[in-house]
Amino acid sequence: MTTPAQEFLRAAAQESADIPRRKAIRHAVDQYDAAVQHGRQQFLDYEGARQKCYEIKWEALNHLDEYLVEFEKNVNARGGHVFWADTAEDARGYIAALATQRGVRTVVKSKSMVTEEIHLTAALEKLGMRVFETDLGEFIVQLRNEPPFHIVTPAMHLTRADIAKLFREKLADAMSSGASSEEPPELVAAARRALRQAFFSAEMGITGANFLIADAGMIAITTNEGNDRLGTAVPRIHVAIAGIEKVVPRLEDLAMLWPVLATAGTGQTIACYNSLIGGPRASGEIDGPEEFHVVLLDNGRTNLLADAEQRDVLHCIRCGSCLNACPVFRTVGGHAYGTTYSGPIGSVLTPHLRGLNEFQHLSYASSLCGACTSACPVKIDLHHHLLHNRRNAVNDADRPWSERAGFKLWKWAMQSARRFAFVGSVGRAAVRGLHRLGLAGTFLDPLRTWTKFRAAPPIPRKSFRAMWRENGSR
Amino acid sequence: MAVVENPGRERVLARIRSALKKPAPRHVCPPSAGPVFAAIPDTLERFQTECVTNSTELILVPDARRAADALGMVIASVTPGEIYSQDAPLLRWMLGGLQTGRAVRWSNGGPPSESSQAAITTAECLVAATGSILIASSAAGRGASVVAPAHIVVASEAQIETDLAAALRRARERKLLEQNSALFLITGSSRTADIEKILVLGAHGPRRVVLILARNLG
Amino acid sequence: MDAVRVLRRIGCEVDFPEEQTCCGQPAFNSGYWNDARPVAQRFVRVFRGAEAVVCPSGSCTTMVRVFYPELLTGTNLSDEAKSLGSRVFEFSEFLIKVAGVTDVGASFPHRVTFHDACHGLRELHIKPETRELLRHVRGLELIEMPRSEECCGFGGTFATKFGMISAAMGETKAGNAESCGAEYLASNDPSCLMHIDGILRRRNSQVRTIHLASVLARTESADKGPEVKSHERSAE
Repeated sequence: MTTPAQEFLRAAAQESADIPRRKAIRHAVDQYDAAVQHGRQQFLDYEGARQKCYEIKWEALNHLDEYLVEFEKNVNARGGHVFWADTAEDARGYIAALATQRGVRTVVKSKSMVTEEIHLTAALEKLGMRVFETDLGEFIVQLRNEPPFHIVTPAMHLTRADIAKLFREKLADAMSSGASSEEPPELVAAARRALRQAFFSAEMGITGANFLIADAGMIAITTNEGNDRLGTAVPRIHVAIAGIEKVVPRLEDLAMLWPVLATAGTGQTIACYNSLIGGPRASGEIDGPEEFHVVLLDNGRTNLLADAEQRDVLHCIRCGSCLNACPVFRTVGGHAYGTTYSGPIGSVLTPHLRGLNEFQHLSYASSLCGACTSACPVKIDLHHHLLHNRRNAVNDADRPWSERAGFKLWKWAMQSARRFAFVGSVGRAAVRGLHRLGLAGTFLDPLRTWTKFRAAPPIPRKSFRAMWRENGSR
Repeated sequence: MAVVENPGRERVLARIRSALKKPAPRHVCPPSAGPVFAAIPDTLERFQTECVTNSTELILVPDARRAADALGMVIASVTPGEIYSQDAPLLRWMLGGLQTGRAVRWSNGGPPSESSQAAITTAECLVAATGSILIASSAAGRGASVVAPAHIVVASEAQIETDLAAALRRARERKLLEQNSALFLITGSSRTADIEKILVLGAHGPRRVVLILARNLG
Repeated sequence: MDAVRVLRRIGCEVDFPEEQTCCGQPAFNSGYWNDARPVAQRFVRVFRGAEAVVCPSGSCTTMVRVFYPELLTGTNLSDEAKSLGSRVFEFSEFLIKVAGVTDVGASFPHRVTFHDACHGLRELHIKPETRELLRHVRGLELIEMPRSEECCGFGGTFATKFGMISAAMGETKAGNAESCGAEYLASNDPSCLMHIDGILRRRNSQVRTIHLASVLARTESADKGPEVKSHERSAE
């Protein structure tokens, strides 16, 4: 049984060597960067916008109980039901029971990372229901039986050729008779044709929610495709599931959050569909679901809330910009992480949701470059939290004894200039000696983990200290 | 639905309250020198620019009469088949005067179906800063503005709000939140860039969004 | 030594307190804050009373200015650490902001591209300073490579713990440097240079690495060979 850490090392090594895959990621990130430059032009003061979003989220998270209770009250008043799910199991159980009781055979699903987190689709399929992902990227990875590659662009690792081949195999009926085409518009049209049936026959539509509006008792959903719109117009039951951290105080907060989410997420001024849903169809309305349920998910978020130093991690609006900014993500991609949430946010978050001991390695798999923190539209101190996770791992979890011993030795050496200089000269002499004896790269060579991938740095004969003494102090 | 036992509620709330006993740090920034968004001196001009960006086909007309003519032309350009329309007095009047040669299904008879080639609605308001259209579920339901491959909106310049903040304020003032189960902010054609980050218009929602904007709809 | 030469050339009195060892960053970055703390406290004591502490490394400067307050919070050196933070400077930062010098009389007639080391860039907000200094170097042609701000992949123990990823990031950086036609890749952080150099040598690249201080140390009269390597990180 490999541990998550071992699996990560294996997957990361494999992905780092996959040059075509890295090229696809590079292309997607370049497109994204160009679009964001454009999207930012709507802001006179983007830093001001980030600060405002930070403040909205800070207010929400630091009064979380009040805003969640207000939200629940308002949803109930509008004819909806709110279920508080302590764990993933509670959430799955509620939705599965509801679907079973209502005789649901077909479910259409909008994109929702929370549903990935709780493995909802598998649970419903086990009960014999058919579950269709309707977001194009999610639909594609569902057909491939793999998880999403990125929280906003699930299929960014695939080329049009990959997708065309997939559709020819799995969606032969929906592909047009010019079946050799790989052009994106043809592929999108095929997906649309294939999913139309599902939308019009499904009894239940499941969505996430980008924001839960406390004072309005409404949820806000953002998409570009309109799949959420169809999924909440036609089926007779709408279930929305969201992490408890998604609540915001006021409707007016969306005037700042919607544009910032769009700019950071895809570089747009605003996404195509921003919907506010406050209940089942109101009396007099001609369509819409008969029932509306909101499932509020904890699943470890209250652990993070209790960590006051890292509470701001719950500000996350799941825009994906930290993934795009991260040079590690750009190199290994989303699947290598092996967790629902990848990239910097995933590395920071997962230890809190699933355990520090098992998932500390992701916080170490970073050069701490800080690009994520610079990119984050709600000012989460992501790279500093990676450091905090490392400190927590050393203090409260398992680290290799050799590492613990190594730093004790390091501390000893650093406490005296003589020891420091001595260790330095011994080290230099040893490496030079080993290399001269032809033992470079063997298990005796302290530089072997370095030289596996790079040329060794030339080992200087003299330390700076020595040079200073000789002729530098004039 | 029978009331479901929800012991999780008290557990989650208790954990939240306990967690919040510890205060979190808060970055304080000096208040921004100026506004976050640039001022919009000419809202119509900005609205037009944004429509170009988001692929909304914008048709400017002086009055209701010309709006009706424009509607006729747009309908003629839509794939042959049934038209679906919101049952509003303005639209009854406009379509009544047109010889479309097409079946028209009205919203009081139910939601649109896959055979509807276009859906016509009015709007609650328009947003200049983003080129958006706000639609309410009580007008013609939820499906009207998303099922058919073409969505045609008839509105007037007086309905243009400067930005999202103004539009949301307006929605509150007019009690739209109380009167509707859902409100939809629509900004251009349905789209996706999920394949190689290449923009494709017309995913699950309408490929065409046409806005007939009259100076005056008196 | 090149940093010392440049500082003297512009008229600074330079001292190297031999008691110094390390700022503590290796342990700190690996999460060993309890081990890093006494080393950091020692650093604060060693540099007590210095008018300005100059360091040719953005990462060490960051450790002192950005992280010492957090690491030493609650200790009796907490206030002194904060004060030291305002007196410690990365090399290019010192030249421009403290010494007020943009032209150090340097000459380096080569095509040079600059890698923006992450700590300097994102923690200390250093970028225009480096370009300003390079613009005044006689004969130097400054070329911006694609994605000069992207991390090179060193990251301390990350370089060996996650060697495959680190090397792949380094390869990306090396490729960008080669693609812009530069002869030299310069930077203000010795760790980055050591890593990028290792990658370039492995690829038999034409591009050579050089520290910013070494570029600025070159004058028309001195015509040494091109290789000036970094020594122990904290000791320069």
